[in-house]
Amino acid sequence: MPETLITHTLDNGLRLLIREIHTAPIASCWIWYGVGSRNEVPGKTGLSHWVEHMQFKGTAQRSASWMDHAVARLGGHWNAFTSPDWTTYFETLPASALETALALEADRMRGSLFDPAEVETERTVILSEREGLENDPLFLLNEAVQLRAYQHHPYRGEVIGAKEDLLALTREDLYGHYQNYYQPANALLCLAGDIEPRRALDLVQKFFGGIQGSPFNKHQPAPEEDLPEFERVDLRGPGDTTFIEIAWRAPKGNSEEFFAFTILESLLTGPSSLNMFGGGGISNRTSRLYLALVEKELAVSVNGSLNASIDPGTFSINLTKHPARSVDQLLAALDREIKKIQSKPIALAEIDRAVKQAKALFAYGSDNITNHGFWMGYANSFADYSWFTEYVQRLAAVSPEQVTNIARKYLRPDARVIGVYTPNGEEARDA
Amino acid sequence: MPESLFSTAKLPGSDDITRKQFGNGAILLTRPNNSSPAVSIRGYLPPGSAAEPPEKYGLVNFLASMLTAGTRRRTFRELHNEIESMGASLSIGAGGLATSFAAQCLREDLPRMLEIMKEVFSEPSFPAKQFQRIKTQILTIIAIQAQDTAAMADQAFDRAIYRAHPYAIPELGFPETVQMISREDLEAFHQRYMGPKGLVAAISGGIQPAEALDAFERTLGTWVNIDQQAQPELPPVEPLTGIIREHVTLQEKSQTDLVMGTFAPKTTGPDFLPAQLGNEILGQFGMMGRIGEAVREKAGLAYYAQSELGMGLGPITWQVVAGVNPNNVDKAIALIRKELSRFTTELVTEEELADVRSAVVGRLPLSLESNAGIASALLNLERYKHSLDYIRELPARIAAVTREDILRVAQTYWQLDNMVIASAGVALS
Repeated sequence: MPETLITHTLDNGLRLLIREIHTAPIASCWIWYGVGSRNEVPGKTGLSHWVEHMQFKGTAQRSASWMDHAVARLGGHWNAFTSPDWTTYFETLPASALETALALEADRMRGSLFDPAEVETERTVILSEREGLENDPLFLLNEAVQLRAYQHHPYRGEVIGAKEDLLALTREDLYGHYQNYYQPANALLCLAGDIEPRRALDLVQKFFGGIQGSPFNKHQPAPEEDLPEFERVDLRGPGDTTFIEIAWRAPKGNSEEFFAFTILESLLTGPSSLNMFGGGGISNRTSRLYLALVEKELAVSVNGSLNASIDPGTFSINLTKHPARSVDQLLAALDREIKKIQSKPIALAEIDRAVKQAKALFAYGSDNITNHGFWMGYANSFADYSWFTEYVQRLAAVSPEQVTNIARKYLRPDARVIGVYTPNGEEARDA
Repeated sequence: MPESLFSTAKLPGSDDITRKQFGNGAILLTRPNNSSPAVSIRGYLPPGSAAEPPEKYGLVNFLASMLTAGTRRRTFRELHNEIESMGASLSIGAGGLATSFAAQCLREDLPRMLEIMKEVFSEPSFPAKQFQRIKTQILTIIAIQAQDTAAMADQAFDRAIYRAHPYAIPELGFPETVQMISREDLEAFHQRYMGPKGLVAAISGGIQPAEALDAFERTLGTWVNIDQQAQPELPPVEPLTGIIREHVTLQEKSQTDLVMGTFAPKTTGPDFLPAQLGNEILGQFGMMGRIGEAVREKAGLAYYAQSELGMGLGPITWQVVAGVNPNNVDKAIALIRKELSRFTTELVTEEELADVRSAVVGRLPLSLESNAGIASALLNLERYKHSLDYIRELPARIAAVTREDILRVAQTYWQLDNMVIASAGVALS
């Protein structure tokens, strides 16, 4: 776990975190903006993700190809991600070239052009990206389930946006979103790697210190603590495989309950990793649901998904049904296992094992400098850096009773959405 | 040049890589990374899918999955409980010429992990219950892939370019051939081909070479299979003649995946490095090189459009791949052909060559920052018979590649009248 962290805030409100790691001559520069699909309104979905694409299209000072080539010719890599809660951009490159990354990020914080012709070209690129996602039944299933998991909160929509919105958004919509949210006071700069902090601070001041922010309006949706009443959604499509997704409400990332829920997830579906870049994972073949569903040949695979988010999110279990079994048989077996974890004592050794797995996953990911930049910003998007540095410690403090209580509170049969993707030609529902 | 941004002496080389061949034929390369609390192990061993009989395609993939289904000493559950309780991982998969493996664990657990690896490789028990379960899993994966436009375009490409060569066959096999595979087939194939001769492993992480060598010697270094036979030699591929156009129709798909390509130079041959730099210019550098610029940035036709140069000891391919709207397939093909035409008739610019030289060299520290990255690089040194100082020598070799070298290689391998164009998606209009 990281020990030292340098924090600083510029006069314009830009927050800065620096973590020195001298294992390789590499630095990773991340800038995080407090905007994502969570801040969008119906009819304008997909704005944050599209703005992210436009950030690669050039500024008055730097053309798109200049920016792209400047990082690439150093052997560096750069990219960006948009999530429901945040949008982030990063460059990982030789440490001595950190200045290139800082200059680029400072320039496009306020200076991107949003050329109307480029906006139109990017519209078809994003539609193509969405079409690629739509080819996957699991995307379609998740989209249908999330839509029913919230009544009004923007977490109900996919980050990429609804197709009808992508066809209707204008250059003014995009530029307005950018102008409003891309502000020093709505940003966090995270630097990790082979960095000399004094020099890095000087460079940050040089490139970002002169950026003037302006007042901005942040659309803050009301959190939805409870899931709507039980609902089942059935989808049909091509193929031979039946997929099931079950979603329950989950606690927000910055809550004590989240750590108990993380242990619960690990026990049910195996450990999940916070590593964004490399580090691999640990298989889930001795998790409770693998043993009960896959080993017993009711399912072919089982996976869980829990993300730390600003507002209460969802915990999802994805199942691939065994071809010889019915959906009802599979769901009944799932419910038996959930009832078991809600009613029978959990051994402390099972929690200790989950903690060791979490610790190992961090060890695997920590040799990647880019992960360190990610972790700093990610933790700050819904909590602060201590959330990350104390993560394993807080998991270790979870008691068996807390896990039982979390399972009872959240994994209720009457407060979940069940989505079933059935291949064309098969019966959608069991008799 | 970015080599001025770091010292090549810090890259892996003969003074910090230890290589040893053991009495049973197995080879280990190792390099310490003292700052890491973990260890990564990468490697390969025979057999590969190319050794499968036609009626049992998918045999090596099935075998790879069954190795961790139980051993003579441990049940499936005991085995995975041991691995997962350490917070470790072990994955084994089929390749054309070899079975590959990847494992990681905390450094203190390396001896236990190597013991487990020896056990799964040398003493699998092929339990009947797991056999049936894993067969169903494989058949389900094949069924899911059959609806995946990218996987289907790839398979159509391989069928068209490799024809009678074993590489034409997907490593998972086909439903009818997987159904034909018995436990006895797996046992016999394992006994005949899987053994320490041809096993190469690389270990990188927080462990000193002497400890790694000792732990390896006491485990995989003692494995003996007196029945182990050499795999059959790969047959040659037939050269491409003409344009082969294949399309796999899949219903209700929003995007069509496209693969265009030809045979690539040998990874171990003199044309490979010019091809690698040329490929960067063609479809990798920055936002997917010239192909990305033409198809995505200017025409807005695709979310991804790039070129990919294969690496391997068998016959490999050089491809351009893209995901496009079904109405834009022909437009994308035309744009890609235009870029290939330019690539094979004009010298790349001085600036382009300088950019990609710089990029490929500059990428070295990034690719080698993790234990897994180092272990993979060590493995490639052995696979391609490079010297232990090859990575340090790479910047000088790259600097020696000229624009004329790239054009010559482009013209040798890309011929616009001889290529495979494969796609998968809704019916072509």
